[in-house]
Amino acid sequence: MSNTILGYIPLLDLFFLHLGLAFSQWIVLRAGVFSLATVGLAAIGAYTAGIIATKTGIPAPLGLLAGAFTGMAAALLLSWPLARLRGVYQAIATVAFLQIILSLNIYFEGLTGGAMGLNSIPKSVGTLTLFAATAGTVYLMVAITHSRIGRAFDAIRQNEAVAASLGVSITGHQALAFAISGALAGLFGALEAYHSYALVPTQFGFQYLIAIMSYVVLGGRNTVLGPIVGTAILILLPEIARPLAEARMLVYGLLLILVINFLPKGITDTLVDMLKARNLARRKVAAETAETRS
Amino acid sequence: MLEIDRLEVRYSGIEALRGVSMTVNSGEVVAMIGPNGAGKSTLLNAISGIVPAHAGHIRLDGRELTVLPAWTVSAMGVLHVPEGRQVFADLTVLENLQLGETCLKSRPRRTTLTDVYDLFPILRERQAQLAGSLSGGQQQMLAIGRALMGSPEILLLDEPSLGLAPVIIAQVFDALRALRASGLTILLIEQNAHLALQASDRAYIIDQGRIVHSGASADLAQDDSVIAHYLGDLAGA
Repeated sequence: MSNTILGYIPLLDLFFLHLGLAFSQWIVLRAGVFSLATVGLAAIGAYTAGIIATKTGIPAPLGLLAGAFTGMAAALLLSWPLARLRGVYQAIATVAFLQIILSLNIYFEGLTGGAMGLNSIPKSVGTLTLFAATAGTVYLMVAITHSRIGRAFDAIRQNEAVAASLGVSITGHQALAFAISGALAGLFGALEAYHSYALVPTQFGFQYLIAIMSYVVLGGRNTVLGPIVGTAILILLPEIARPLAEARMLVYGLLLILVINFLPKGITDTLVDMLKARNLARRKVAAETAETRS
Repeated sequence: MLEIDRLEVRYSGIEALRGVSMTVNSGEVVAMIGPNGAGKSTLLNAISGIVPAHAGHIRLDGRELTVLPAWTVSAMGVLHVPEGRQVFADLTVLENLQLGETCLKSRPRRTTLTDVYDLFPILRERQAQLAGSLSGGQQQMLAIGRALMGSPEILLLDEPSLGLAPVIIAQVFDALRALRASGLTILLIEQNAHLALQASDRAYIIDQGRIVHSGASADLAQDDSVIAHYLGDLAGA
């Protein structure tokens, strides 16, 4: 029995690592920024932490902090030119950013190991650390959702002009969303570095970007539950249907097309909307019966 | 209080406002009437900083608003109720109202949630409901309530009667009458000229980006040329 559970530990680790990045993607979308920078920012955090661990004697917790910090700093820098762009242009610019990161990675071979990657990073992160980081992230996301900042993010996403005319600073809030996204991406990139012994440059590529985006689109973009459900489904799916594991990207692509067409809001957001509509209908009926009685 | 001096606004070369000058004094309700496309909404968007001014000045109590971004303009107490309500459909009524407080940064709060609920009791009843599920009239009340939550120095109202049934329009304008009685300064934009002239102290008539007429609302309502051009056959009704 314990063996079967142990067998799933690597899968659980993968789930936590990907979920952290999914929230990094989720928070910028929430604030109305169509950024695809998360994987690039994760690469920055991962390599920062990896280089620190292999070339200096700085302890792992500080390496994780450094990863989060460099991710955040890069995101803040990136938010400045992106503030002038909207929608699909932000997406194009951030994909270009990812390409630049990948090229720099090859260029600075002495530091990053280039195409050979960064090897023999001491493993210092286990399932428990990953769980703690993910739980902390979920808590932060829930707290933001119920705060003034979360409402401002929602307002900007839904109608930027009206949000601004109510006193919401668009550039300020989008920079904040970027900073949170960058810190999360950097942290989970660093966790990945300390969890898997080695980093290879192809790891943080376009495929990873599509996978992270799929989690959020499938799960839902407006509730904290969305990325959790999306990541769980897409990580478990290839395990349940073993023959599909080979065709992972094909399945992701197909699922994305289906979801965008039939559940454009994602699984959880659609369910939440349905529940709200049902509650409303029930309350209406209750109010009407109360009226006819009185 | 609000002073607009030879304001020009262009959209990609097309002149929407061609030198508009007007004033709104403290405690006054001023109406801006005119046909579709005359530049009424553009004027409000320029005041609240949503569209940039090409030339001219907008001042609030002598302070220049012209070059400020929208979120700073609202922090100074200029609050805009946009055309077509534009409530945040995916947020609840209460969350929409709470967003209205965002611009209360350094100014004292003069309007509370209770005040807004007393003015529009239906909003209290529906506070936990998503704004998108409200009727058009309720959304208009929410949009006005949301702006009031920011304790406006001056309220800019863009076509509050748009797309509403006559009985709902009457309710909305009852609320405006109450706000006027409380001494709130309002700049009201309306296509329904009769309604606007009844609800205001003074009025400007705008056509093709220019002010073509102005005066006390009661006088304009009697003016033959105004009736012929802007009140149309409704005048007899």
